[in-house]
Amino acid sequence: MSTETPVLEGRDLTRYFWVKQGRGPLARSVPVHAVDRVSVRLDAGKVTALVGESGAGKTTVARLLAKIIKPDEGQVLLNGRPAPRGRPRSYSSQVQMVFQDPFASLNPVHRIRHHLVRPLEIHHMAGGNVDAAVAELLRRVALNPPENFTGKFPHELSGGQRQRVAIARALAVRPRVLIADEPVSMLDVSIRLGVLNLLAELRDEERLAILYVTHDIASARYLADTIVVMYAGQLVESAPSATLTDSPAHPYTQLLLSAAPDPDRVTPPHLEGRGAPPSLSAPPSGCRFHPRCPFVMDICKREVPPSIAVSPGHVAACWLHVDPAERGGGENGVLATPSASMENEIKR
Amino acid sequence: MTIDSTALTQAPLAGPTPKSMLPKVGLRLPRSPKVIAGLALLAPFAVVAVIGRWISPYSPNATDPQHWVQHVLVPGTGPGTGITANYYPLPLPPSAEHWLGTTVFAQDVLSQVLTSTQATLFVGLIAAVIATVLSILFGVTAGYFGGNADEVLSLISNVFLAIPGLPLLIVLADYVPSAGSSILLVAFIIAVTAWAYSSRVLRAQTLSLRNRDFVEAARVTGEGRFRIILAEILPNLVPIVAASFLFTTLYAIYAYVAISFLGLGGSPTSSPPGLWNWGEMLREGFANNAIRGGWWWWWAPPGLCVALLGTGLALVNFGIDEFINPRLRVAGLTRKAAKKAGITSHATLGMTPVVGNRPAVPSLAARSQNVGDAVLEIHGLSVDYGYGDDAVHAVVDCDLVLRRGRVLGLAGESGSGKSTLALAAIRLLRSPAVITGGQVLFHSKPIGGDGPRGTIDMLASDKEELRSVRWSEISVVLQSSMNALNPVITIGAQFDDLLRVHRPKLSRSARVERSGELLDMVGINADRLRSYPHELSGGMRQRAMIAIALALEPQVMILDEPTTALDVVTQREILEELIGLRDRLGFAALFITHDLSLLVELADEIAVMYAGRLMERAPAASLFNAPRLPYTHGLIHCFPPMHGKRERMQGIPGSPPDLNDLPKGCAFHPRCAWAMEQCRHDVPQLAPVNGSAREVACWLHRGDAKVPAELARPDPGVAEVHA
Ligand SMILES: Nc1ncnc2c1ncn2[C@@H]1O[C@H](COP(=O)(O)OP(=O)(O)OP(=O)(O)O)[C@@H](O)[C@H]1O
Ligand SMILES: Nc1ncnc2c1ncn2[C@@H]1O[C@H](COP(=O)(O)OP(=O)(O)OP(=O)(O)O)[C@@H](O)[C@H]1O
Ligand code: SF4
Ligand code: SF4
Ligand SMILES: [Mg+2]
Ligand SMILES: [Mg+2]
Repeated sequence: MSTETPVLEGRDLTRYFWVKQGRGPLARSVPVHAVDRVSVRLDAGKVTALVGESGAGKTTVARLLAKIIKPDEGQVLLNGRPAPRGRPRSYSSQVQMVFQDPFASLNPVHRIRHHLVRPLEIHHMAGGNVDAAVAELLRRVALNPPENFTGKFPHELSGGQRQRVAIARALAVRPRVLIADEPVSMLDVSIRLGVLNLLAELRDEERLAILYVTHDIASARYLADTIVVMYAGQLVESAPSATLTDSPAHPYTQLLLSAAPDPDRVTPPHLEGRGAPPSLSAPPSGCRFHPRCPFVMDICKREVPPSIAVSPGHVAACWLHVDPAERGGGENGVLATPSASMENEIKR
Repeated sequence: MTIDSTALTQAPLAGPTPKSMLPKVGLRLPRSPKVIAGLALLAPFAVVAVIGRWISPYSPNATDPQHWVQHVLVPGTGPGTGITANYYPLPLPPSAEHWLGTTVFAQDVLSQVLTSTQATLFVGLIAAVIATVLSILFGVTAGYFGGNADEVLSLISNVFLAIPGLPLLIVLADYVPSAGSSILLVAFIIAVTAWAYSSRVLRAQTLSLRNRDFVEAARVTGEGRFRIILAEILPNLVPIVAASFLFTTLYAIYAYVAISFLGLGGSPTSSPPGLWNWGEMLREGFANNAIRGGWWWWWAPPGLCVALLGTGLALVNFGIDEFINPRLRVAGLTRKAAKKAGITSHATLGMTPVVGNRPAVPSLAARSQNVGDAVLEIHGLSVDYGYGDDAVHAVVDCDLVLRRGRVLGLAGESGSGKSTLALAAIRLLRSPAVITGGQVLFHSKPIGGDGPRGTIDMLASDKEELRSVRWSEISVVLQSSMNALNPVITIGAQFDDLLRVHRPKLSRSARVERSGELLDMVGINADRLRSYPHELSGGMRQRAMIAIALALEPQVMILDEPTTALDVVTQREILEELIGLRDRLGFAALFITHDLSLLVELADEIAVMYAGRLMERAPAASLFNAPRLPYTHGLIHCFPPMHGKRERMQGIPGSPPDLNDLPKGCAFHPRCAWAMEQCRHDVPQLAPVNGSAREVACWLHRGDAKVPAELARPDPGVAEVHA
C-alpha cells in the first residue's frame, strides 16, 4: 500500500439513521447503526472495492464520502486536509459519483446533451466550446460517434450505454475521485465487463482514485487493487484483491467466498456461518459476526475485535489473529492455526 | 493492464425496451377517440371564450321594449276586478330575431350565453392558473425541502383541505360583495378553495422524485437547489400538473356556477354590476319560473353548456390519465390489435390464449425417442406478445424436455425470453401473450395425493384441467415471489389455506403438522408458522415460497430466478436446500437464471437462449467447459474467475438485441466474432453436433465450416463416459 497521501480518505466514519418503530403514539425513534467507525482510503490510480451483503452499509459509506449525507462522527479528508463543510462546488469538482441504476440516474425528460452540459457549465469547464467538450466526453466513454448520442433521450439507450453516459457526466468536471455505487449490478451480464474495463482504463490513464462498491466479490477481484469487506456496518477485512480472495483472514470473508458461485469448484462448498446479518438497531455486542461465527470465543461476545495486520497491507478485525496471550483471560477453544482451517474452506 | 473498450460499444441499436416506462417528453397526448371527442367538445367553447362578447348580437342587459309582450294577466287583476290590470311579461320563444329567444325581461338569450361563456371560462381558467401556481409553490417546496418547511406548508394545505370547499367559498363570496364584478377577484376566491388537493398530490410526487438518483446526481454535480427544482423535478411533474390543471378548471367552473346560482356572484344589473355567467343565467331563469313556464330556451342553453364543458374536460382528463399510466394505454392498444388480428382474447387470469390452427408437431414418443423419464415435453413452442403486425416474437420454436429428478438450467441475457418460455408452457402468462405454435405434453405420475394421471396436452386443456395440474403437479417460484405472500395473514394460515383446498381429506391438526414439516424442510423453524411475512427476512420469505410450492409434492418445479434478489450466502443456502429436496422428492426442476456460473454447479443440463430462440443445449459440464456456440463462449467469459491470474476479459461486444428489430439470419451475428456471410441471411436451427448429446444452432458447426479452436475443446462429458 502506498504511503502517499490518499486523495480521499474517510476516518472513523459513523452514521446512524433514526427510524420509527411501532405505530401511532407508541412509536419511538431508534437509531440504526448503519455505518460504525469505518475508515477507507482512496489512492490516485487505484481502484478500491467495497464488498458486503445487502444492508452492510456500502451505499451509506459511498454517500458519506461523496458528502451527500453528513457523518455523525468521523471526518472526510480530501488531499489530506479536512474536507470543507457542506458540499461546495470545489468539492463536487473533485469528487464525483456514479449511481447503481442507470435507468434512474438520468432524468428521463432531458436529452443526453443536457446531462453533460450542466456539469460543464456549473464548473466552467467547457472553455468556450461546449459541443466539442460534450463530444470529447462521449468519446472518452466509448460512445462513438458522439453525434449519434447527444440528441437522444435516456430511454433510447441501452443500459450499458446509459451507464456510460452517467460515467461521462461524472468525468465532465475532471474529478480526481470517482465513487461508483454498484455501477454494473443492474446491467446485463454480457455488458458488465465493458463498463468495468472502462473504469480500469480511467484508473490507468487518468489516474483516477475509484471506489467500486459491489456485492459481487469476483468482479471486485477482477477490477480492484484493494478489496475492503464490510459486515453489518463495520469493516472486517481489507487486503490487496488477490490476497483477499486467495487467503481470506476473517471468517466472514471466508463465508462470502465459499458462498460465491464458482464453476471451478469440484465439490459443493461447505458453508460455515449460516444465518442472516443482525439487526442494526440492536447490533450484537463485541464482534458483530459472533452469532454466526464458527470460531466464536468468549472474548468475541464481550469486546470489539481490534484491526490486526495479518500481513503487510492485509488487515482483519478478528480476535483469531490476536496473540492468545493478549486476548485477555477466560477464553477457550483456541484454534491452533486459523489458516489451516481456512484451507478446507476454500476449495480450488 | 491496458484496456481498450472502444470495441465494446456500437452506435445505439435501440437497446431492449426500458423496464420503467417513464413519460417521454412534455405532453404528447395519445390520439385516442376519447381525447379527440373531448377536444372537439371544448373547441367551440374556446372560440366563444375569445370572441363571445363581440359576436353577441345584442347587449346581454339590453331589454327590447318592443317585445315586452304583455300576455299573461295576473289572476285577480284587470277589468271587472276593481284592480288595475297587471300583466306579466312572457319570454319569446326562439325566432329569427332572437335565435335562442328572450328572457322574461326581453333580453336576448343568445347574447347572454355568449357573454356568460366568456366570463365563466375566464374565471375557470384564471382560478385554475392561480390554484396550480399555489399548489406548485406549496407542494413542490414542501416536498423538496422537507423538514420544518414541509411541516408548516403541509399544515397550511391540510387546513385548507379540511375546510369544506363550497361553504368556505360561500362565506368568502358573501364577505366580498363586490367580488362578482371582477373576474380576477372571483377567480382568486375560488382558487383559494381549490389548490390544496393538488398541492398534496404534488408534494407526494416531489417527495418520491427528491430522492431519485437523477436528482441526487444533479446535486452531486453541484447543481443549485432552485435549478434542481425547475429543471430536473418540474418537467417530470408536467403530466400531473396538467391533469390537476384540467381538474381544477372543471372544479372552478362548477364552483363559479354554484355561487352565482346561489346569488352570491353579484347581479349584472346591480351596482357594481356582477358578470353574466351560466350560474347567473340559471338563477334568473329559476327565479322567474322558467321551468314551470316551459320556457326551455332560457334555462336549457346554460345548463347544456355546463354539462358539455364538463364532459369535454373529463374526456381530455381521461386521455392524460392514460398517458401518465402506461398500463391503461397498453391495455387499450392490445385490445384493438387483437380485434384487428381476429383473435378474441379473454383476459382470463392464468389462461394464456392459444392460436387455434397450430401446425402439428410430432411428440417425442412419435419420434421414437426415450420418453421413459420425461415429465414435461415442450415442442416447437412459439409465443408472441401482441397480435398481428405489431406482435413481438418473444419465443420462437423452442424444444425442451424435463426429466424426473433432474435439473434443467435455462440461461440467457435479460429479455431473451426465458420466463416467457417457461410460463407459457404452463399457460400462466396473461394477455397480450399468445401461444402461436407448438405442443406441451405433461406426463403425469403423481408422487403424492391424487392428481391426474397419464399424458395431458397443456395447450388443449381447459381451465379446470389446468387448475388441477398447476400448483399440485407443476409449481412455480418467481423471482419476486417473496413479495407475493399475503402481508396480513400469518405464514401458517397461508399454508393451511392451500392444504385445505387441495387436500380436503387432511384434518386440521394434520394440516398444521404438515405445514411445520414443510417449513422445516426449507430450513425455517416451525415456530415461524405464526409469523407475518414482514417479520421474516427476504431470504426466509423466499424459502417460505419454495415451501408453499413444494407443499403438494409437485412433479415439476419451475424456478424463475428464485434467488437473484438475495445475497450470495442466502442464495447458496437455498440452493443447497433445493438440491437436497430434489434428491429426496424426485421432482424435475426447470431453473431459470442469467447467472451461468451458478447453473454449472446446479444443473444437469443447460439450455442457452438468445433473442427468443434456444441456441445451445448440452450437459452442464460440457456446456461450460467446451462450449460450441460463440454466444455461450462469450457468456462464460463474462464471469471473472475467483482464482488464478487476473487477466483482462472482453465480455460480449455490442448490446442485447431489440426483439422489435431483430437482425436477419442468426440474431447474434452483429456481436459474433466468427460471423460468416451465411450468418447474415439464414437462421441456423438447433441440431446435434456430430452425433453427441449436445445440440447447437450455429453455422460454424454445419457443413464444412472451419470450427475455431475455442469452440472445439474436447467434451469433458464424453471423456468421462470413456474413462
Ligand atoms: N435513509 C435511511 N433511513 C433509514 N435507514 C437507512 C437509510 N439509508 C440506509 N439505511 C439503513 O442502513 C443500513 C445500510 O444501508 P446501505 O444502503 O448503506 O446498505 P448497502 O450495503 O448499500 O446495501 P445494498 O447492497 O442493499 O445496497 C441498512 O440497514 C439500511 O436499512
Ligand atoms: N407484456 C409484454 N408485452 C410486450 N412485450 C413483453 C411483455 N412481457 C415481456 N415482453 C418482452 O418479451 C421478451 C422476453 O421477456 P422475458 O421476460 O421472457 O425475458 P427473460 O429472459 O425472462 O428476461 P429476464 O432475465 O429479464 O427476466 C422481452 O424482450 C420483453 O421485452
Ligand atoms: S472476532 Fe470472534 S466472532 Fe468475530 S469473526 Fe473473529 S473469531 Fe469470529
Ligand atoms: S451462426 Fe454465425 S453469427 Fe451465429 S453464432 Fe454461429 S457463427 Fe456466430
Ligand atoms: Mg447499496
Ligand atoms: Mg425473466
